[in-house]
Amino acid sequence: MAIVHDDIGRRRFLSQAVMGFGMLFGLGTLGFRFLQFLLPTRLEREAETVLIGSESRIPLGEAVPMDLGGRKILVLKTEDGVAAFSRRCTDLGCLVSWNKERAQFICPCHQGTFDRTGLNIAGPPPRPLDRLPIVKRGEQLYVNIQAT
Amino acid sequence: MGAMGTETAKQEQTGAGKPWIDYIQKDLPQHLDWWPYTLGALPLTLFGLLVGTGLLLTFYYVPSPEQAYESVDRITNEIYLGWFVRGLHKTSVDLMILFLFFHVIRVFITRAYRSPGELKWVSGSIVLFVTLAMGFTGYSLVFDNVSYWGMTVVTSMIGTLPVIGTPLLHLLRGGEEVSGGTLLRLYDLHTKLLPVLLGGLVIGHVVIVRLLGFAEVKGSHGFHPFYPQHTLKMGAIAAGLLLLIVNIAMIFPPLLGPPANLQEVASDVSPPWYFSAPFMWITLLPSPLALWSLLGFAGLFVVYPYLDRMLAERGWPMEVVNAFVATAVICAIAGLMYLDTQM
Repeated sequence: MAIVHDDIGRRRFLSQAVMGFGMLFGLGTLGFRFLQFLLPTRLEREAETVLIGSESRIPLGEAVPMDLGGRKILVLKTEDGVAAFSRRCTDLGCLVSWNKERAQFICPCHQGTFDRTGLNIAGPPPRPLDRLPIVKRGEQLYVNIQAT
Repeated sequence: MGAMGTETAKQEQTGAGKPWIDYIQKDLPQHLDWWPYTLGALPLTLFGLLVGTGLLLTFYYVPSPEQAYESVDRITNEIYLGWFVRGLHKTSVDLMILFLFFHVIRVFITRAYRSPGELKWVSGSIVLFVTLAMGFTGYSLVFDNVSYWGMTVVTSMIGTLPVIGTPLLHLLRGGEEVSGGTLLRLYDLHTKLLPVLLGGLVIGHVVIVRLLGFAEVKGSHGFHPFYPQHTLKMGAIAAGLLLLIVNIAMIFPPLLGPPANLQEVASDVSPPWYFSAPFMWITLLPSPLALWSLLGFAGLFVVYPYLDRMLAERGWPMEVVNAFVATAVICAIAGLMYLDTQM
């Protein structure tokens, strides 16, 4: 078979293209696996109900901070009853605190403000505070920590 | 053969065949002897000092949540000259970023990025962003209360980016929350990945500047040799700079706030001065708008030379526009920084 220059050029191009793509694909796959290695596996958190104490121990108009296995919450008692809120500001994850005089939750990082129902009323937070359901069994209060 | 001949002629014409070392040693235009034009070399000197002092600090720093703060405390208060080494490191960062800003302002006002020098600006702007990333990761390692909550806020901010936000957040934090894994990752970034990247980028920036050549400056006619004249001048500047840093480190020794408290946010979470303006920006504006506008500014900053070219072609007086933009941006940054001190 007579070999013409064009054919050599085409063959070389094809073989180089196949090798090039193969190498890119291999390196890409390896890179992707390395990235997967760096990404932590998500642990499924199960929903659970945690005892937080009796209602009478929470003073009216006060919010008691609690740490339930790393989940930081504030349990607020008002005339409307007892409510539990996540302390994590919905803006950038700082911890909100209860300001009794203003009857508001304040985030010190960027002055995000939430009212006593957890509604975002001022500053950068884009949505209300996460609210955790409270279950009352007798005098004892339980907080429902949802699965994440 | 004909093609080869043309290629060689082209190489000779553009100088692409010359050994690269000739570019570094090439005579420099007269204006590089003037003070405002030496600002780019200062961050390079400071980078060297940062690598040296940083390396010393790694001998004592322990990247774990239980021991990080304690080890910084030991470096600052117990180890012989520990405060001095940490002070040099901290002062060098502040000055490196300050001089980078001055360098950017000088290049911007003189429009030194004009064609064919766009790549000089683009590579330099990446150097600036990586330096700021170094500032953030380093500042997080101290693990006092301000740095802990700063780390929480900045990583959360990255998490709000669309699509890549959440995976990037998990990649940085090593989990959902800021933890020991986060500290280790930031430590790795600060002491391994980013310095290597920054070193490469700095070399790349210098090589690009030499390959593309210096921008023409009015009134700069003559040339002077790279060695010894320019090298000596830079050496003198480096020595002066070292003197300044040593003095600043002694007059303002590095401080350490209270340790990280995971239950209570620091009363003042203001970041270091170079993040003060964007920090106030995200405080004043609603969340998505603040973040998107910051990203927009950063993108605009990187591609500015191309924007300049486009506008200049349409007859805009870019010298005036740049002077106006620079003044407005500097005033805005100063205003935001002032607001931060008042809050």
